[in-house]
Amino acid sequence: VSITSTPTTHRVSPPTAPVSQRSRPRRPRRTWRITTGILIALLFVIPVAYALMISFEPQSHFLKNPLTPSAPTFADYSAAWTQGDLGPQILNTILYSFAASAISVALSLLVAFPLARKLVRGAGLIYRTFVIGVCIPLPIIPLFIEAQDLGLYNNRFGYVLLHVEPGLPLGVILLTAFVMSVPAELDEAAFLEGCGYLRYMVRIVAPMAWPSIVIAFLYSLLAVWNDIIGPVVFLADPSLFPVTRGVYNFYGANAGAYTILAAAVVIVSLPVVALFIASQRQLLRASVVASR
Amino acid sequence: MARAPGQSSIQLMSRPSRLVMLAGLFLALAVFLVFGIVPALANVVISLTDYSGLAGASTSFTGLSNYVTLFTTQWPGLVGSLGDSLYFVVGVTVVQNAVGLALAHRLAGTGRTAALLRITAFLPIVLGVTVVGIVWLLIFDPQSGPAQSVLGHLGIHSAFFGSGSMAMPLTILIQVWQNLGFTMVVFIGGLKAIPAEIFEASDIDGASGWRRFRSVTWPLLAPVVSVNIAFALIGSLTTYNLIYILTDGQFGTNTLGILAFNTAFGNTADLGLGAAMSTFLLFLAIIVALPAVALLQRRERRLLT
Repeated sequence: VSITSTPTTHRVSPPTAPVSQRSRPRRPRRTWRITTGILIALLFVIPVAYALMISFEPQSHFLKNPLTPSAPTFADYSAAWTQGDLGPQILNTILYSFAASAISVALSLLVAFPLARKLVRGAGLIYRTFVIGVCIPLPIIPLFIEAQDLGLYNNRFGYVLLHVEPGLPLGVILLTAFVMSVPAELDEAAFLEGCGYLRYMVRIVAPMAWPSIVIAFLYSLLAVWNDIIGPVVFLADPSLFPVTRGVYNFYGANAGAYTILAAAVVIVSLPVVALFIASQRQLLRASVVASR
Repeated sequence: MARAPGQSSIQLMSRPSRLVMLAGLFLALAVFLVFGIVPALANVVISLTDYSGLAGASTSFTGLSNYVTLFTTQWPGLVGSLGDSLYFVVGVTVVQNAVGLALAHRLAGTGRTAALLRITAFLPIVLGVTVVGIVWLLIFDPQSGPAQSVLGHLGIHSAFFGSGSMAMPLTILIQVWQNLGFTMVVFIGGLKAIPAEIFEASDIDGASGWRRFRSVTWPLLAPVVSVNIAFALIGSLTTYNLIYILTDGQFGTNTLGILAFNTAFGNTADLGLGAAMSTFLLFLAIIVALPAVALLQRRERRLLT
């Protein structure tokens, strides 16, 4: 299984693959591609489409016939909206995820610049600590105790602050890589002209780093948005709950109300899915960058 | 302190600018320290106490007694939990990488359909574990769910997530389904890094399909295979949020992660013992990850040089 020999044989063997010979297996290959494509689409879409389908059904129809759709009704949506208290929860989730991610990315940039330019001692060591931080699971038990001791338990400010740190490692890695790609002459020119540090960060570096900033922000946002352990551990007051814990509690309290539950799931997913569709290009490219 | 040799940008900064830069750095590092490093280390300290987290209960230093409990009183439970963890880790790592690679192979192209399907594969990540978990619980509801309805026509009945034999395989499949997008995208990154000439060359050599994959693609993918396997190993060993939603550790899905969580935050409210379990889990993750990474890197060197 020698791979290095392949390019060599390339040079030796005559490049004469007739077009007719190669195009012959096209049709079965095309069928294969269509079949696998449909299967992949079904694999990811069916569960979601199913929840969507039953969210428009009366419960009675679902219980009699769980596999086929009924005439659509919006009753489940109004029931889910009123019973599930979803409005305030969606607002909580938006507040938590946007605030925590924005702070996280801003702090990441403030770390990334001095690290990338090696302006402080131990820059390499600090950077490596952040890299290790990517792989370490969140120490939820000490964080719970800390939250109580620091007055961060069961309040909005604390909940946001507790969700800033998890976004830092990826943010620092992405932004350090970005700043390193910016020539240091640019800093020098700016500082010579008397541009202050924060002004330079906000007006020059941040706009240039925008793609990396968006990626770090989106990853943090998804993590905060979808966190279920955090709301279980750090919050007790239902008025502070984000959608994850709200929907989970709703499930626990109304486990038999399948169609209303499905409607609740659809409602709380709409904002994040919309955001994702608007930004999918950056997200997908991001995970390639992050894997390096 | 903030002057490194050979760097001029800091010398060109005004004094207030320098102070602002250092203040910003320290602020960010303080957050990292207080909410990242300190709690990571505190796990060990807490595991040496009888902290309950209950109001009014006093806490005292109890030495290794939580570890003694863990390896004596809790021993049968711990062995069962280790077995569940092993099942989960092996299942997730194997299935996620196999299916992820197959998906990547099919969807690495530049066409519109491939792009659309790649987005679709990311849907479960965007929806998150809570929504994904609840949707699958609905589908596999043993009374009125659609899966039961289909199986019912064949005369089969299963309790699914309430079944000792079915809960774990289903949990593994849903964990994989949830995270396939990441694995796929990393594999696609690896596939794109392989120079097109190599594929053309193997095409001309007549190696196509499975043979080309086996002798060209697979060895050249070694670096991303390492990344994906390492992430899947560590991730599946320490994760428990999906299990929390699906089974809460019941019916043979009591992995170490969910056991530690429930010991700390369940009815027992034993934060000390929970911390001991978390510390043991982190220790396990390290002794699994280090040799695995070394092995994967050796494999990369063998295949790529």
